[in-house]
Amino acid sequence: MDYDPEGGSINVRFLQADSQRANFIVQNFNLETANALRRTMLAEIPTLAIDVVEVRDNTSVLADEFVCHRLGLVPLSSTGVEELLYARDCDCDGYCDNCSVTLTLNAKCTGSEIMKVYARDLVIESRTPNDELGKPVITDAEGTGSCIVKLRRGQAINMKCIAKKGIAKEHAKWAPSAAIGFEYDPANKLHHLDYWFEEDPEKEWPKDEARINLDGGPPNPDEEFKYDAVPTRFFYDVETVGGIPPDQIVQQGIAVLQVKLAGVLKALSGGTGDAEDFGGAQSPGANGDGYGGMDAGGYTPVGGPAGGYGGASSWGGAAQGGTTPYGATPYGQNW
Amino acid sequence: MLQQKADHDNENRFELFLLDEGQQKVEEKAETRVPNTSVFTFNKEDHTLGNLLAQRLLKNPAVMFAAYKVPHPLFATFELRVQTDGTVTPKEAVMETCRLVIQDLSRLNESFQTEWLGKRIVSEGEVERQQREHNNY
Repeated sequence: MDYDPEGGSINVRFLQADSQRANFIVQNFNLETANALRRTMLAEIPTLAIDVVEVRDNTSVLADEFVCHRLGLVPLSSTGVEELLYARDCDCDGYCDNCSVTLTLNAKCTGSEIMKVYARDLVIESRTPNDELGKPVITDAEGTGSCIVKLRRGQAINMKCIAKKGIAKEHAKWAPSAAIGFEYDPANKLHHLDYWFEEDPEKEWPKDEARINLDGGPPNPDEEFKYDAVPTRFFYDVETVGGIPPDQIVQQGIAVLQVKLAGVLKALSGGTGDAEDFGGAQSPGANGDGYGGMDAGGYTPVGGPAGGYGGASSWGGAAQGGTTPYGATPYGQNW
Repeated sequence: MLQQKADHDNENRFELFLLDEGQQKVEEKAETRVPNTSVFTFNKEDHTLGNLLAQRLLKNPAVMFAAYKVPHPLFATFELRVQTDGTVTPKEAVMETCRLVIQDLSRLNESFQTEWLGKRIVSEGEVERQQREHNNY
């Protein structure tokens, strides 16, 4: 069955694009892939966050673990995290410059005023792959970032924070997006929703006219209900926390999902692939490294022309690709 | 000196996505009682892949049955059952599905990149124009 009854290829249309959010529509797409992409963007894009804290001094009113938890949630710039290893894949003992960024937070209140310690007071101590990586994200007008603790006269805080690469499946502090809006069929023409109502749902529920117009207008009451219709148009609203720009979140999400699928292909096509090629390491990112690496930049899963994945596979070499008897599918390429 | 994890939750949350020692990503088990049927066990994967593959497989006319289940919500694994009409094996059907989804995503990414650049240029131009008008005051 064709998932695109009107014909036309997958395309994107933007409603808003700036440094904070990407609000766009994907057309001629299908629900399962759209949802998989949404889930990947939420939970599986690598970013940087403070993971281990050495408390050298803390005489503030907040308990150590309380401050540590707050530090973990401080958004850090993830520009170029690809160059960082996962700490568990690194050869080092604990952490090193190849798998972490070290920041220190050192403040002491000497005046009579209450002193506020902000995210901007986190100072990078280690050698980082680029100038941006690990910098606290500051977006507010005052340029302070979020407040971590308040100190009274004589109180001090001194902490060494080790920021590591991770994904939000492990902890939400690694989530690249603050929120991802996702919607289809705003007019409920497919009847996927059953509105609760007192007398008349038409009157009691608000309507997003703008979106309904973008999605082919309100339902035609004379038209018969199409029970086998499927959604093809999806509204995304990706808002970044600040570590990764919104367009990168989407592109990374696509890439991570492709690498995931490529991993399944690899596992099914014999699974005995060169240990060296695909690495013994099991991190999701390390999986990608095997294919030349979305991290290493040699092979970008999304780079080539569409369809580059069909015949001569770009990731497996002789393992599969051209060798499958189904290079030319007996059932066409439409599904 | 005290070392503290930045949070106090489950220490081994990476078990959700890191394969155990010697574990395979996908294991195929042929269903002996039904022809052309296999159950694939995906390790360290969840609904993201399960729903995607199951739904997409159903669009393949050679596939007669495709569905997935997560046997237990605390274990990061799902089972995908696929039955074909015999023109392709279940494994080939799954692989073909993966390939098609990768292609679709490439197409999406291409369109996304062009449109994003276009929209950025337009909105930046808009801001610049507004600034110019403001300065002309």
